Amino acid sequence: MEEIVLDKLRVWNRRIAILTGLVLLACVCVVLLDILMRRVGSSLGGTDEISGYVVAITTSWGMAYTLLELGHVRIDLLRGWSGRLGRSLFDLFAMTVMAGTITLIAAKCWPVLARSLANSSRANTPLETPLALVQIPWFAGWVWFAIVAWLTLAAALMLVLKGQFEQSEKAIGCFGEQEAASK
Amino acid sequence: MTSYVAVGLLSLLTLSIPVGIVLFLLGFGVDVFFSSFPLIRGLGNLVWSTSNNATLIAIPLFVLLGEILVRSGIATRTYTALDRWVSWLPGGLVHANVATATMFSATSGSSVATAATVATVAMPQAEKLGYDPKLFSGAIAAGGTLGIMIPPSINLIVYGFLTQTSIPRLFLAGLLPGLALAIGFMAITALICLMRPSLGGTRRVFPLSEMMQALLQLLPIILLFTIIIGSIYKGWATPTEAAAVGVACAILIAAIFGSVSRHMFTDAILGTIKITSMIMLVVIGASFLNFTLASAGLGRELEEFLSGLGLTPLGTIFVVVLIYIVLGFFIETLSLMVVTIPIIVPVVVAQGFDPIWFGILMIVLIEMALITPPVGLNLYVVQGARKSGKMSDVMLGSIPFVLAMLAMAAALIAFPGIALFLPNAVGG
Repeated sequence: MEEIVLDKLRVWNRRIAILTGLVLLACVCVVLLDILMRRVGSSLGGTDEISGYVVAITTSWGMAYTLLELGHVRIDLLRGWSGRLGRSLFDLFAMTVMAGTITLIAAKCWPVLARSLANSSRANTPLETPLALVQIPWFAGWVWFAIVAWLTLAAALMLVLKGQFEQSEKAIGCFGEQEAASK
Repeated sequence: MTSYVAVGLLSLLTLSIPVGIVLFLLGFGVDVFFSSFPLIRGLGNLVWSTSNNATLIAIPLFVLLGEILVRSGIATRTYTALDRWVSWLPGGLVHANVATATMFSATSGSSVATAATVATVAMPQAEKLGYDPKLFSGAIAAGGTLGIMIPPSINLIVYGFLTQTSIPRLFLAGLLPGLALAIGFMAITALICLMRPSLGGTRRVFPLSEMMQALLQLLPIILLFTIIIGSIYKGWATPTEAAAVGVACAILIAAIFGSVSRHMFTDAILGTIKITSMIMLVVIGASFLNFTLASAGLGRELEEFLSGLGLTPLGTIFVVVLIYIVLGFFIETLSLMVVTIPIIVPVVVAQGFDPIWFGILMIVLIEMALITPPVGLNLYVVQGARKSGKMSDVMLGSIPFVLAMLAMAAALIAFPGIALFLPNAVGG
């Protein structure tokens, strides 16, 4: 069961990561078009603004993928010296703190979106983008990150309780600097 | 408050909580214990304003650029070509390691990516040609660190972003020290191999025709560097836009070499999202901590502390250098940078030092942290690529290069012009 949840989460986050990467490539095209148009004396206008939104949205949606790929850097000093059970406890503790913090961040992001929705705010820029339009996917990304964090924690906890330390370490272990190197 | 942050930081990090999250937690702590206003109310806005930032798009784009170069085989071609040119020197192929790393630094914004690239291509050659594994791998680890000094550099972008300093000027400032370090690394290698020829493997001289042919292989990477940096200084593109130009050119070059495929793109994209999100969580966390520290008046407290010590400006710089060397042993480098920038840069600037110059000095110290154990990412990167032998080999092999970096730091303090000459000469 736990393995199935983790696998599903990995598959979905991989798809999301590819999609966010494609958004990034689209942004490259927009920037290039703008540079070319500027050379001939015209301009698309607003590429900076669009780039900003792309960073905000790709970042919030990419976080969960990085989490499952064990990409968020952790210092492995004490943990590295512990035994299997000790390592699992370190991992569960770190993951609980992480899930809690991410949930708090997501909760605190809501008022930002709520205000934009309530006031129908628009960006103070030439594009006058309705802020809710870009803040909804940004906020949703953080919520998704929080959901993935809790689900991963729950699955890992079950694995540890069943004594499957190795599988739990694959899900929430330290990325290991050697592994980072091979990426 | 300073001791709270220092103790809190170290203990939370040792508990192996992710670095980005530690920064948020410290921010919450500063809010609860040291601030009379509920700073946490600003958290959502801060997360939005930090990530909704056009400057930061340079981070995923430069990462993507590096990923494409690595996965399209351009790295291998560059290495082989440089081997033809520098293998006659005492130390042979070791110079090719440094030279390839230098060239890659000029297109990649990251040290780890540079070291990983060179290590993957170079390591198989070391055993074949009988090189000393220590010196050979140490040179790759050290050469890789140039990735964050020679423009473009992700770390300089983050520094510029957090300190409101001009990124093009930072890029210009990093160029001379970066090249000087590269030359220094090669000089040290030659010197060591002259004294102990057994370390240097076989020196090889290639016929001129082969050398000229190799030059052709270097063209793509030289072209890429010229386009990226040229477009910035010609005023055609901002550093951020230049990253987009770089990505487009890299794809074009990969296409010319016939290495563009769906598989290559997927891998490059996944690698980019993973690294970018990791960096961004740390950057957003650091921004929140900056905000709480500034609101709670840490700058004033630190300044009072330092003026209480009665140090001269030079004395302050020495204390700062010492702090970086010590912290560099234990803390991952980007985290070290973002954690210390809000605390240390205001103090240094208040003493009358140029923030551009300090940025470069900080990068030298950060480079050193990349190759000093126990937490020196490049050491692990190189060891990871070796797949055999002892980790301590890489560590020992890096020591001469650490000395070169110390000498560079001293030179920067004695002659700030090494960093400031180019940005001042170009103006703006």
